[in-house]
Amino acid sequence: MEGENALNLLRSRICDTGFIFKDSSDTNYSKLKFMISTSVAEACNNSILLLGPRGSGKLAVLDLVLQDLLIQYPDSISVVRLNGLLHCDDISAFKEIARQLCMEHQLLFSKAASFDDNSQFMVAVLKECGLAHKTVIFILDEFDLFAQGKQRLLYSLLDAMQSVSSQAVVLGISCRLDADQLLEKRVRSRFSHRKLLFLPPSIEDSQRLLVHMLTLPIDSSLPYDYAVEFNKKVQNIIEDKRFKEIFNKLLNFDSSVKHLLKFLFYAVSHMDLQTGFLSRENFETAFTNIQRQPKLECLKNCSVLELYILVSMKRLEVKEKSLCNFNAVMKEYKNIHDSFQTSDYYARNVCLRAFEHLLHRELLCFTDNRGHSLSVEFRPVKLLISSAELHQGLKAYQSCPAILQKLVERDG
Amino acid sequence: MDKEESPQIPRRTTRSLSTPSTSNIVPAAKVNSSLESLTINDLLVGGDPVSLDDIISSFPGRSSQIHEIVRLLGPLNSPLLPLFVYGGASTGKTSIILQLFRHLNRPLVYSSCRTCYNQRILFESVLNQLLLHSKNAANCYANAKRCERPSDFVNFLREALTGVINNLKEKSEKMISKKKVHDGKTGNMIYLVFDNFHLVRDWDKSSTILPLLFNLYDMLKMLEVGLIFISSTSPDTFYTNMGYVEPIPIYFPDYTEGDIRQILLRNQANQKLYSSFLDVALKPFCRITRQVGELSTALKPLFEKYCEPLSDKGKGVVPSEDMKRRLFNHIKPHIASSLNDVFKVSSAPSSEVETGKQTKHQGNPKRSERSEEIGDLDFHMSTSAKYLLISAFLASRNPATLDASLFDSKGGSDNRKRKRKASEKALEKKEMLEEELLMKGPGTFPLERLIAIFQCIVSVAEDPADEDEQKNEELGAQCGSGSLMSDVLLQLSTLCNANFIFKGKSCPIEGSTRYRSTISEDLVLKVARSLKFPLSKYLYRS
Repeated sequence: MEGENALNLLRSRICDTGFIFKDSSDTNYSKLKFMISTSVAEACNNSILLLGPRGSGKLAVLDLVLQDLLIQYPDSISVVRLNGLLHCDDISAFKEIARQLCMEHQLLFSKAASFDDNSQFMVAVLKECGLAHKTVIFILDEFDLFAQGKQRLLYSLLDAMQSVSSQAVVLGISCRLDADQLLEKRVRSRFSHRKLLFLPPSIEDSQRLLVHMLTLPIDSSLPYDYAVEFNKKVQNIIEDKRFKEIFNKLLNFDSSVKHLLKFLFYAVSHMDLQTGFLSRENFETAFTNIQRQPKLECLKNCSVLELYILVSMKRLEVKEKSLCNFNAVMKEYKNIHDSFQTSDYYARNVCLRAFEHLLHRELLCFTDNRGHSLSVEFRPVKLLISSAELHQGLKAYQSCPAILQKLVERDG
Repeated sequence: MDKEESPQIPRRTTRSLSTPSTSNIVPAAKVNSSLESLTINDLLVGGDPVSLDDIISSFPGRSSQIHEIVRLLGPLNSPLLPLFVYGGASTGKTSIILQLFRHLNRPLVYSSCRTCYNQRILFESVLNQLLLHSKNAANCYANAKRCERPSDFVNFLREALTGVINNLKEKSEKMISKKKVHDGKTGNMIYLVFDNFHLVRDWDKSSTILPLLFNLYDMLKMLEVGLIFISSTSPDTFYTNMGYVEPIPIYFPDYTEGDIRQILLRNQANQKLYSSFLDVALKPFCRITRQVGELSTALKPLFEKYCEPLSDKGKGVVPSEDMKRRLFNHIKPHIASSLNDVFKVSSAPSSEVETGKQTKHQGNPKRSERSEEIGDLDFHMSTSAKYLLISAFLASRNPATLDASLFDSKGGSDNRKRKRKASEKALEKKEMLEEELLMKGPGTFPLERLIAIFQCIVSVAEDPADEDEQKNEELGAQCGSGSLMSDVLLQLSTLCNANFIFKGKSCPIEGSTRYRSTISEDLVLKVARSLKFPLSKYLYRS
């Protein structure tokens, strides 16, 4: 039972972004907090970009900062959140801004309001907020998507901030490091080029994070003895040499926090509930199961006939045929059969179906998007697997005909 | 398995697999009458509870995947990072997920991206289920919410999810106060399942909807929501410019030969006999395909053949070594032949086959070609349509410049006499032309050319005045009477609709619509044979 409770606790920790970045000695956290709190306290405008790869905790840190600030200045902050994936067109963006501002200030939101009404409403509210010394914080997630098109939203936001009376902070979050280069001139000139870079943690930081995530609290509903025992085991695992090896490999592959969390989630959910403790094997299975090689897996699923077709296509590719379709593949398949007298020679319709299977598996794809007028046999296709992968896959395939391996090896 | 065969009808089904292993999932129907308002319990899969062991035994070769999913879903009320379940067709992804939720008795919102074929329908289907809304006559089959934009969807979704989660929490609190521990606990988690997720890539707005759905978990920030994506292609086929945090992959490999054997053996009356049959037949078929559905259709008629020498169709016979050998010798030639036609449907009565074939033609032109290669032409078509088909084929195959010489009064027979000895260069050219035909496929032609060829070949066919071919003469008479033109255009549009002839957009230079024949040479040969039409005479061979 305590195992289950511990598991639930760990899983909710991993899923909760707030917890992950809570105790981290992140300088970005203090920088961001300083910047926002000064603009709130001194009633000035500000705009900041938070840049960093996906899953590096940009939004999580920002949320923590906002949480603190909302406690610090409960009455003088209102937050508007936009997401580039949802509101990248101006109409829905302004509508969403108006909706959130209405919610915030207990006003009635009209769904029928036009684009113009909404944008005027936003400017008016900004002015009012400025007069009331209230800061509106705009959070634009996926900032780069707002920079598509005419950038009307960004322009009117930043332009409204130019007036003395208004008081707003615009926070752009993006995983494109060149996000500010995407801005138009008129927008860029109104943007203060403050950027905060979020980098993936170093190995030491990752290790600290690991301990932070996996250590159970001693003063909680969990039994004291169990928690102490659990923490000791975790400590042992982390200090284990073999674990360190896996951990380094994992970080070499992708050192972002999100990737680490995925790994932890997998390992933790494989915890043995009978004993209620983590073991090194959990982490090992997690590592092997998270690193997938989809193309090789796909090759393992193929039937022998499908392998023949793949090899024929590969040979055509080596011959540098500019175009390749089913008919050409069949010709090559027949060539192979004629010169080596294989036992696997099937009728054309059977091969066509195997060919379609390969298309479904996405080992092949059509090179033209439009050619629906032609039937499958004539549409040009290309191979989506490299020769090295094919070679490796054939080697791993248990009952692969020797001739196929030879053919691939010869072509190199 | 028998235990699962419950009289109660579960709320949701998967597409029925061809194997009987999942036959316990009966067609969907609402348990409660449509007028009754839905409750939170309708988000459960329904049906009798199943034990984990039952599920494992009903899905041979899938125990590691089942255990993995159960572990990742975790105990009651534990949050879940998004899962990405992938594997080839007919590997049991959807069935296993649904059965597991039936076992765990947790609420889920299932929407398949195949039936919800665009983003609006997907959004509305998810919301309908979450808001416990059922479409019926009373509400004019309206949706709970009208929702087209992703931004509205996320707002509505957040609202609906909070409602459902509060509902669930209340329920579990009640459970605790009533001391009904452990049985029938549903927990506070709600799971959103998106099936056939690979299809989303082909949608109109896939570049925005894909990252939206992948980032949905981060956007919602609700610990009580679990997302499960089911796709038949691997995660690497979803890479776009946009990028997203990859969900946790769970891989369903295709069945191995041993697994397939076990699956096919299920629900067989005479296990021993079938097993000896599989010893012989399974291996060669596995070299062609390893999809259970296809294998079982291919093996079924073969097994009937296998049983033929036995007195009572092989019921209750325990095969001895001697008998096995005899049966093997009997079946051997059949295996070799049936390897090469996987599409044969032989068990249905002939009339049904015919109608089946006809509908198939309209649905899928590519399939029809291949099914036609077996046996004789087995669908009905009017004679003029057949001629039209042949002329379309000729127009697509032959270069337009040769029409005059091919269709002169002598039927192009003197074409060969003119043939000179081919020089090396000519041979090379010939090869190139052949290659081009192979690559480019059939060419396009304007309507006028089609009609001209049609008139030529019809007039030739009526010319010989063969006594046997009354049909053709009748047709010829019809042509004479002038009703031909309107009739042909009608026939042409029928053939276009049936996908025998592809009607393209109008050519920007000439301004006329261009056509292309999509049928294979084998089919045309068959059609020509049925008319006793000398096709080869008119076909230009480079």
